[in-house]
Amino acid sequence: MNGRSLWVLALRNAPLLLFAIIFLTFGTLSERFLELQSFENIVKQASFIGIVAIGMTFVMLTGGIDLSVGTNMYLSAVVAGLLMQELDASPWIAFVACIAVGLAFGAVNAFMIVRLRMVPFIVTLGTLVAGRGLALLITESRGVILPSEMLRFGSGDLFGVPNPILVFVVVAIVAQVVLVRTRLGRHVYAVGFDDKSARKAGIGVDRTLATAYLVCGACAALGGFVSVSQLGIVNPGFGEFTELYAIAAAVLGGASLFGGVGTVLPGTVLGAILIQMVQSGLVFLRVDIYVQPLVQAAIIFLAVLLDSVRNSTLRNLDRRKIRVEPTAARSTASTRSRADPPTR
Amino acid sequence: MSAPASAASASAASPPALEFRGLGKRFFGVPAVSGVDLELRHGEILCLIGENGAGKSTMMNMLGGVLAPDAGEMLIGGEPYRPAKPADASEAGVAFIHQELNLFGNLTIAENILINTMPRLPGLPLVNRRALRREAREVLDAIGLDISPDTKVDALAPGEKQLVEIGKALAADARIIILDEPTTSLTNRETAVLFELLKRLRDEGRSLIYISHVLADVLALADSIVVLRDGERVGGGPAAEFDQPRMIATMVGRSIDQLFPPREVGELGEPVLEVESLSQPGIVRDISFTLRRKEVLGVYGLMGAGRSELARILFGLDPHASGTVRVAGDVTPMSDPIDSIARGMAFVTEDRRDEGLLMDSSIVDNMSLVSLPRRGGGGLFLDAKELQSTALGMAERLSLRSGDPTLAQPVRSLSGGNQQKTVIGKWVIERPDVLIMDEPTRGIDVGAKYEVFTIMNALAAEGTGILYISSELEELLGVADRLLVMNDGMVVAEFPREAFDSERVLAAAFAREQSATATEASA
Amino acid sequence: MATPTSVTDDEPPSPPSGKQPRRHGGGGTAARLAARLLMSDRFVLYLTVLLFLAVLPFIPRIASAGNFSNLLSNFWPLLVIAVGQTYVMILGGIDLSQISTIAVASVVGAAVMTTGVDPVLFEKTVLWGTLLDGDGAGILAGHVWSMPAALVLMLATGAAIGALLGTIIARFDIPAFMMTLVGLLFFSAVAVWLTRSENITRLPEAYGAIADRGLFGVLSWSALIAVVVTVAAHLVLSRTVFGRWVFATGMNRRAAIVSGVPVRRVILWCFVISGVCAAIGSVLYSARLDMGRPAFGDNLNLLLDIIGATVIGGTSLFGGRGKIIWTVYGVMLFVLLSNALNLLNLSYFTVFIVKGCVILAAAWLDVKRRELLAL
Repeated sequence: MNGRSLWVLALRNAPLLLFAIIFLTFGTLSERFLELQSFENIVKQASFIGIVAIGMTFVMLTGGIDLSVGTNMYLSAVVAGLLMQELDASPWIAFVACIAVGLAFGAVNAFMIVRLRMVPFIVTLGTLVAGRGLALLITESRGVILPSEMLRFGSGDLFGVPNPILVFVVVAIVAQVVLVRTRLGRHVYAVGFDDKSARKAGIGVDRTLATAYLVCGACAALGGFVSVSQLGIVNPGFGEFTELYAIAAAVLGGASLFGGVGTVLPGTVLGAILIQMVQSGLVFLRVDIYVQPLVQAAIIFLAVLLDSVRNSTLRNLDRRKIRVEPTAARSTASTRSRADPPTR
Repeated sequence: MSAPASAASASAASPPALEFRGLGKRFFGVPAVSGVDLELRHGEILCLIGENGAGKSTMMNMLGGVLAPDAGEMLIGGEPYRPAKPADASEAGVAFIHQELNLFGNLTIAENILINTMPRLPGLPLVNRRALRREAREVLDAIGLDISPDTKVDALAPGEKQLVEIGKALAADARIIILDEPTTSLTNRETAVLFELLKRLRDEGRSLIYISHVLADVLALADSIVVLRDGERVGGGPAAEFDQPRMIATMVGRSIDQLFPPREVGELGEPVLEVESLSQPGIVRDISFTLRRKEVLGVYGLMGAGRSELARILFGLDPHASGTVRVAGDVTPMSDPIDSIARGMAFVTEDRRDEGLLMDSSIVDNMSLVSLPRRGGGGLFLDAKELQSTALGMAERLSLRSGDPTLAQPVRSLSGGNQQKTVIGKWVIERPDVLIMDEPTRGIDVGAKYEVFTIMNALAAEGTGILYISSELEELLGVADRLLVMNDGMVVAEFPREAFDSERVLAAAFAREQSATATEASA
Repeated sequence: MATPTSVTDDEPPSPPSGKQPRRHGGGGTAARLAARLLMSDRFVLYLTVLLFLAVLPFIPRIASAGNFSNLLSNFWPLLVIAVGQTYVMILGGIDLSQISTIAVASVVGAAVMTTGVDPVLFEKTVLWGTLLDGDGAGILAGHVWSMPAALVLMLATGAAIGALLGTIIARFDIPAFMMTLVGLLFFSAVAVWLTRSENITRLPEAYGAIADRGLFGVLSWSALIAVVVTVAAHLVLSRTVFGRWVFATGMNRRAAIVSGVPVRRVILWCFVISGVCAAIGSVLYSARLDMGRPAFGDNLNLLLDIIGATVIGGTSLFGGRGKIIWTVYGVMLFVLLSNALNLLNLSYFTVFIVKGCVILAAAWLDVKRRELLAL
């Protein structure tokens, strides 16, 4: 295996490598980090980011982006919270309403991006702003206190597994199944790879894109619900910057901004835990509170840089050849029997 | 090589699988295909041959539902066939396998083959993995590909990808399969595997139309051959009646409609472009030639021969692994178009829309783009008047006709010929030492072509060396002083003007050695 | 035999059922009039006037001299910053990091100039011992050229941030929105880190004077700076080689490369311009507040104004199209809009809703304009 294919292998498995490196680095620098309790806490805190990031993965796989997920979280949580607070609704009803709002938000994005053909990042930037304004209007920028049942859910567990983690795992499994084992999921990958070819092949490209944004919206709402169940209150600043962490989690997990590449399991799940790990690790190491965001931004930058490098490297490798060189080594498929590792 | 007797007799009574009657298509009033008759029986491989621009792709696009015919009709199984879109063609059992594959590298073979028809588990929206694998396995067996259906497509070799594309056609139960230049990136062994498959499909009773410029392959594969020239059918019949010389002779021999300005070949200047052993693995190999001042050196070759790739390497747009290039005696680094321009090179690219023009900019802006740093007026600001007068002067020289006398209209609104003149004008303002022109007369009318040739002659007379790349043989024969023929990334022949002979040129361009020059890693 | 214009043997034309831009010749006269209006240079100017007339009955004091002077003091800084953004957008990109550049420049400049900060607050900061001396004063405090030097340092900061982002974007082909988003995250954190969230005050008087309203709010330093920058930007964009290169790169990058345009350098310089313009805007804003303020980096409102003003003016997010005068009108509209929303006493979240919708409308107009040009 020469240097070049080693490099390509590293690029393909970047998420796992990064995870291992960060884990070991923090582990060596702070023993407390490696305790199971802390690790469980990390995953528990990462759960809501993970859920949102899973939705983001769908959108990124198609080559798009959704900057409005943080606002979506907030708006959905506000509606749910107010239903419980003002109308004494049961948490289940509030939950359904929450997801419904998330879907509606996603639908608004989908309409503008797919039907009106507007650029995804500016559309979701606009809805990010307008949506937050709307939510703040509804709450008059006051916090919404949630009933204690929510907190009990957020801090409770089932068979020893904390509820938030449970929801995270369920969402991850469902998402992975959808992406890998349904027609829709495969169409998502196809559209992200080449939407022109997808159209030619008869795939409903518009439908696929719209569904991706709907899923993203629903996941954002769900993630918000899980998060507020741990906080007990929906503050006016809830959800701010979440979109960045969600994107970072997805990109760190191997999803490409350019579309067509990425997985939920293990990719985005690892990415979300990684993000939280860094955050917690910096706290454990008592890193200056003002330096922490610098480190986080640097890590996101690293992930984005890796994504671009991988994209151009693979593009160059694929450049069409006209000649067959007499001495070129041709690898025939008969020496290959397994599919590529799933992190691609 | 010919179809088995049983298939022939079986289809003798029933209507042909496919029929064209007087099929025609015009673009902007110009015929691309006219009055073509064709008959394809069940269980037959028909090879379509002709030069670039002969109309092969247009014809197949009509068959595949991408274009609508303007004249004549198509019949499948005796019934009228009028597809409005590619999906209609698929439904009618027509599969078009393009040169550019439409596979999704990030999905598995099975998923690509059955992208729209993946079998589902009963009651659930989940894909039935086992059934998917099984169905894909069946298709893979049919095409003779012994790879796991769960392999990701981007891990496949080009030959294997080609086979998967055919697999898609089989999965859709295509009865008529069109293949457009499928062997361009294939090794000899992969080609052999492909041909075995095609013959097997033919024996099953399917009909195949195979477009290729590799005449030896055509002879090995075809049951019947149809020759197109300038959109018309000029010859055809059972493959047994053809050999390579006859195919070439039929393809050539058109009356030369175009007029060429008289070319006075005076005293040639000193060498202005010297290329030595230029190579880039997979693209070009061991290219060497010399271009002199005042010379028009033509480069002929078929699609995929490496001409444009060579031009791009010479100009510094693409990298090269070894070899040297000298412009006017200086060894050029060739790493960057900016360097090439500084050395006195100019490059009219193949596709003016993509790389030649800023479609929404004015004629003046486009024309001044290359020379802007040096011809802007010299001060801090651009001298708009000077730019305009330079552009006007050039437009006059090129006989560029625009509706707007100030040349402020966007280039998008110009005719193809005037667009091309804008591109040429852009490069010629600074009188280059070497001018590379790649398909400069593509998509422009006869009159404009004449004008382009006149411009070229004038430039040459002033001392520029011109490298004229084209797939229009008669043009090259009419304007070039010397002709290089490229094939498979190498220069395979050279013809001085006295020895111009279209049949020999074509033979060199089409030649492909059947015996393996490529030694395979594993047999 | 002529070869047809758009069909070559290696490229089948797009299917007849493919997406075709609507040709506006088919509409009625009303539609055509609307189209021509939309495409005119002054469309946004008319919108601004319309907005003014629309809100006038509700808030008559919008037309007062005091308010006018207020408007202007908001207009100049935003204009300068949006002018820089215009360059990046014509290139086909976007610069989301400008507000963080404003923050860092603000802090850095103030640190050098300040006559004294509270040691208790600043002892632990990075600036202590570097740009702030042991007593809490800036290293140039008291000198007559402390302010000019600070200004130069601020501009240099803007240029440096722009150069860093521009180089990475040009070299690695990272999408501009993503890279500048990361830049925003990083540098706003840098600004906060430098002062540990504190503002730097006690700046020399001459600095605050930059923001003085002057006669009728027009004859002020801010106005002068903004006008000079805007005119210079316009001249460079429309009358220099570099300006043509920016358009060429934004319109068709591949054609630009073939024609010898130094595309990577052009990208780099556009981001530098954007950074420097942000820094100049920082000078104007900080002078108004008379402090170095890291919180600029969190000012979402400002970011929206910058992007919104540039896009609604007519500069296209898709690249290749833009004019400085369009941005001037766009900034007018947004400043008036912010002012009106303020006078209407609307809460800040209502402002968000309105501005968010305006940005969406602007982006949609961009798509419509492209369709009309049959791009």
